[in-house]
Amino acid sequence: MPVNISLLECLASEFTYQDGAVIIEEGSKGDWIYVILEGFAKVKKRTRKGMVIIDTLQEGEVFGEIAFLEGESGSRSATVVAAEGTVRVGILDKDLLAGRHSEMSPILRALMKSLAIKLRETTSRICSTLVSLD
Amino acid sequence: MATDKELPKVYHLHYKKGEQVFKQNDFGISIYKILRGDVEVFRECEGIEIPIANLGAGSIIGEMIFFLKSTEIRSASARATEDSEIEVWHPMELLKEYEKASPVLKLIAKQEMDRLIRMNKFMDNLVIEKQMANTESSPKKAPWKDKRRFYRKETALPCTYELVASPKGVRKNAKGLIKNMSMTGLLLDVFSKNETLFPHHMGEVVSIEMVLPNGKGFRAQGRIVRIKRNDYILSLGITFSDVPDGEREALGFFLLP
Repeated sequence: MPVNISLLECLASEFTYQDGAVIIEEGSKGDWIYVILEGFAKVKKRTRKGMVIIDTLQEGEVFGEIAFLEGESGSRSATVVAAEGTVRVGILDKDLLAGRHSEMSPILRALMKSLAIKLRETTSRICSTLVSLD
Repeated sequence: MATDKELPKVYHLHYKKGEQVFKQNDFGISIYKILRGDVEVFRECEGIEIPIANLGAGSIIGEMIFFLKSTEIRSASARATEDSEIEVWHPMELLKEYEKASPVLKLIAKQEMDRLIRMNKFMDNLVIEKQMANTESSPKKAPWKDKRRFYRKETALPCTYELVASPKGVRKNAKGLIKNMSMTGLLLDVFSKNETLFPHHMGEVVSIEMVLPNGKGFRAQGRIVRIKRNDYILSLGITFSDVPDGEREALGFFLLP
């Protein structure tokens, strides 16, 4: 899908990653939100049987938003790696986003945080189930 | 997390342990905040309860319907796992406020929602796949209706498959043999040498195309959830992630005994 204009307006910087390069690493600290400008990325999680791919992201998709929306903890829920060739990603302006986020009422922020918590929990459960299947 | 003072209180409800707060597929627009107690959120698929989360005081449930703009049905059920007190909010004022929120944040929330829906479907298929494996490994314990629900048809259908996430212009497809199929997935045997064409990793999404014995074409997308290596053959367990309605009907006819 094409990159939405509202994301392009928030871009702070751009980076290019070669196939297989780690963009963000599970467990690391950080709450930047990224958008894929070109190419694909794989979302992977560690399991006791090794890394498992849980999702594939394409142009126009954001990632890293869970840590941002959850707030205080700020740890990455999964590893994201460049896949199938070179990937160009943009980093969204954190100050701008944080400013707009803080303008929302605490209730709306709590609803968005709740989505992020459920996504983190669901992906963890997927990994446990995948491991038990293999 | 919002404080009690900031919340638009509508009314408080008390639930006894085991009582349902809301049910999957029901229409409903309210959002719930757990004040005291514990609530489990789960999905029901093919008669199986698939856990999503166990939530305690301070947690919010029912928010997906809010981000879906209240036009959809509940995607999951919620049940009190101990005596609980829950605050129920009507979302109308919140929706008006959300409409005015920053477009980029709304876009992020939308993608988050889409991803959660995708992951929930993935989880449904995985749990069914696991149930199917358990049913097959202990046929004596399985009631007849469970065997029918998870019926897997043995077959030997040639197919082609390819990675969905491939850069434009370099998409490669490979051949394989489908050993069995069900409404939720299939077992695909392929030559190990296919790994030189593209990666065959757990979680990869592939597009599969075949001609069913009645001459009708069938195309679906699925995730690799199991890989077994045997000399020069890879056996790939694949759960469907996207089967268009028309294709689902064709699959249903094919699976008739």
